[in-house]
Amino acid sequence: MRADVVVVGAGPAGLAAATRLAEAGRQVLLLARGNGFTHWGPGAVDVLGRVGGEPVDQPLAAIDRLPEGHPYHLVGREAVRDGLDWFSRFSAGAGLPHIGDPEHNRAQVTAFGTLRPTCLLPEPAAGVLQGRVAVVNVAGFRDFSPGLCAARLREAGIDATPASAPLPAWDHDRYFTGVELARAIDDAGFRSRLAPGLARAAAGADTVVVPAVLGLNRGHEPWADLQAQVGTPLVEAATAPPSIPGLRLFAAYRSRLEALGVRWQFGFPAVGVERDRDRVTAVQSEGASRVLSTHCQELVLATGGVAGNGIEANRDGTLSEKVAGLPVQGFDGRLAYLGPRFLGEHPLAAAGVRVDAELRPVGPDGEPVAANIRCVGGLLAAHDPTIEGSREGVALATAARVAALLAATPSALRGANLEPPGPPAR
Amino acid sequence: MSHLLETDVVVVGGGVTGVAVLRDLALRGVDAVLVERFDLGTGTSGRWHGLLHSGARYAVRDQESARECIEENTTLRRIAPHTIEDIGGLFVLLPGDDEAYAAKFVEGCRASGIPTEELSQAAAHRREPLLAPDVRLAFAVPDGGIDSWSLLRSMAADAEARGCRVLVRHPLVGAERDGDRITAVRVHDAVAGEDRTIGCQWVVNAAGAWAGEVGRMAGVPITMIAGKGVMVVMASRYVRGVVNACRKPADGDIIVPQHEVAILGTTSEQVDSADDISVPPADVDRMIDMCAQMVPAIASGRVLRAFAGSRPLYKAEAPAVGGEAGGDTREVSRTFTVLDHASRDGLGNMFSIVGGKLTTCRQMAEAVVDRLAERMGVTTPCTTATEPLPGADHGTHQVAGPLARVERDQAYGELICECELVTRGQVREAIAAGLTELEDLRRRLRVGYGPCQAAFCAWRAAGMLAEAKGDAAAAGDGHPLAGLERFLEERWRGQWATIWGDQARQALLNHAIYRGIFDLQGLGVPDEAAAALSQAGEG
Repeated sequence: MRADVVVVGAGPAGLAAATRLAEAGRQVLLLARGNGFTHWGPGAVDVLGRVGGEPVDQPLAAIDRLPEGHPYHLVGREAVRDGLDWFSRFSAGAGLPHIGDPEHNRAQVTAFGTLRPTCLLPEPAAGVLQGRVAVVNVAGFRDFSPGLCAARLREAGIDATPASAPLPAWDHDRYFTGVELARAIDDAGFRSRLAPGLARAAAGADTVVVPAVLGLNRGHEPWADLQAQVGTPLVEAATAPPSIPGLRLFAAYRSRLEALGVRWQFGFPAVGVERDRDRVTAVQSEGASRVLSTHCQELVLATGGVAGNGIEANRDGTLSEKVAGLPVQGFDGRLAYLGPRFLGEHPLAAAGVRVDAELRPVGPDGEPVAANIRCVGGLLAAHDPTIEGSREGVALATAARVAALLAATPSALRGANLEPPGPPAR
Repeated sequence: MSHLLETDVVVVGGGVTGVAVLRDLALRGVDAVLVERFDLGTGTSGRWHGLLHSGARYAVRDQESARECIEENTTLRRIAPHTIEDIGGLFVLLPGDDEAYAAKFVEGCRASGIPTEELSQAAAHRREPLLAPDVRLAFAVPDGGIDSWSLLRSMAADAEARGCRVLVRHPLVGAERDGDRITAVRVHDAVAGEDRTIGCQWVVNAAGAWAGEVGRMAGVPITMIAGKGVMVVMASRYVRGVVNACRKPADGDIIVPQHEVAILGTTSEQVDSADDISVPPADVDRMIDMCAQMVPAIASGRVLRAFAGSRPLYKAEAPAVGGEAGGDTREVSRTFTVLDHASRDGLGNMFSIVGGKLTTCRQMAEAVVDRLAERMGVTTPCTTATEPLPGADHGTHQVAGPLARVERDQAYGELICECELVTRGQVREAIAAGLTELEDLRRRLRVGYGPCQAAFCAWRAAGMLAEAKGDAAAAGDGHPLAGLERFLEERWRGQWATIWGDQARQALLNHAIYRGIFDLQGLGVPDEAAAALSQAGEG
């Protein structure tokens, strides 16, 4: 097999990089072991939520306060802005418009009733909690506790009360997950049966907080329709994985990539590379009972850090990058991986591959170890996406940078997918 | 100081021994009160590997213990089958192991009355497919698994149903003596925050590894040796039954499958204090490497956590057994001793029961209560060996039992813990019974024990606690999120030394859920008192 660019990893960085490279006319193969952080996250675009533990109001401005070597410093503020602009256009075109301003963070309500600082939010999560707030669950949905959420919101000075809306009869009355509930809510008939109970539970409220389950495959339309029927603003609260807003976004990427003619191998992890001096010539991936080689001009690694399975943390404190064996700074034994408090910081979360300004991996001497490998997203060293609240911002900014770097490279295989992109997927 | 109550016998210690003593007294019609400093099973009874001994581990060097074990193994299967997983056990001979030891082992088992069956290499692998290919020979013995919390709850419920009382979170703080007798014990009511006295005729010290401290409060010297054992919890069972190395007992020579996990054990190190339950990382590595010799898949498996427990080893006065701190405590006999402090120390109305092990807890209770009853003039004989415990009519515990229950009730949607198959109904019942802490739910229901280590269940359970408390869900320590943070930090203490590989990814994903999605900043720092109260068993 051959591809112009092989992108490895289908998390926020790999999906954005593959889409942008395909839009720039490169022929792309996307290889992925499985689902990435779209499925795990809160369904928001975090750019920079906290520095030194303190919430950040102006994420772009606060980049200056990040330590040296941070991915944002490597790609520059303009790449961050470019990444966010592109994402806003892409998501709106896909029927998932996001609200927010890169100059100012906003608050995302969570199922715990905490208000997490983030930058862009999908419309259903972007409403402001004003006046009297009803926190409403659909009866029987086990992953949302209105009592827990409302108790914390009240501590933040919000007039919140818990309530429950009856579950309309359906064929999953004994057993349902958030995904199944969201799929049911895609159905207009189910919504019309759900809406009256939701309206009763929301009676007298100015805003209604609900778990993020309002529709799966129809973009934001089920949320907008339900909100119109209830007659009160509905705000989706972030819930535990799988993230339904993340699933919506993942589906939008997938449609867009298919429309762009990007080949997609899912469930077949990349396991190695073939080299010719300082260049990678092919990527090896697991196929059905054999290893496949795909020849490529460029390799983009978006495999994530330890959490994303791009890096293995070994028992002896050393770290291994799993596709190309890139150098990764290890630790003095495994006890140095993690902090003494679970909710505190963990050095391992910030471990990753060091790169130069063109996102090429470098060795301890700072020199690139491969001429045509680029690293994006969580795989990069010197940032902790969870503690900083920077995951999607770093993904989009580094994807923007890699698109700018590789779009200009002449392609031996160009022409394979030069037909104009199809209409935005919905 | 208010006078709490009067009773005939105060039993000190809420581990299996103390609770077995309480039940024995209850069955003989004696009024008794048990006092425990934390919750039932938070000492050694909750920090062990869960092996129902056949006695084979002691067959070569400690046949008295071996005989006690096989007797009680048989008795517990009769009176408490619901707490037992009848999985059997193997002793396997690896290359390099001494065949002469194997011969002594077989002879020791025969002499101790432990049935053994020799299995060929092929038969051993049919029974345990993950055994190392170079296992030469194996002996099947009637080892089993036993759930000590289930046993504790059954014995305590039986004793309470017969009129005895259990006071948890009532640490002993002193004893009032009148001449050669104790007239009352002083306890601290940790919930009300005040000291109280319990007037009594007799005291039984069943504080296990902490028996020496109770002795000090009563004014009698008891020398216990703190023998720390480290255990490692793996994320799946690996083996159908217990697997032991057929050699002189040493570190990392036993694998006990239990519920959804396997426990690797153990070290045996003398330490200065029974409260030293720290886990040296090197012990974790050694345990994994040694157990992987028997079951190689363990070397690349996921380690959930590690923990340590303190064996209640008794140092008799005359012969010098045991050694200095840091020494191996395997040479100390695992049998038990009844101390009559009247003849020994001139304290007329106190007995101590020291040494022993979980498998023999009922026999230990019988031995001490026989002596006590004789002095009290109670002639009712012991019936604990024949009287089944509540729940015994359910048969032995089957590992697939919880799944069968969930399937029968079609309660999938009610699951709040997918790893351990705990349903919302079970949590609701526990909350209705007065449980308010996630730690207590864990010991009761195994919430948070499974391979995901509380990524999903803990906050679901916290939500149910919040709903139950309603408007009382106030700020501060009682806040459900503060309780959740305490729970997460307590779990973390046993995890962070054992994290690498897949488990490192799991830990960071859990962190991304709690800190990332739910934005818990860890500000509800657990204070020392709360940490002490939530100190709990493992296993």
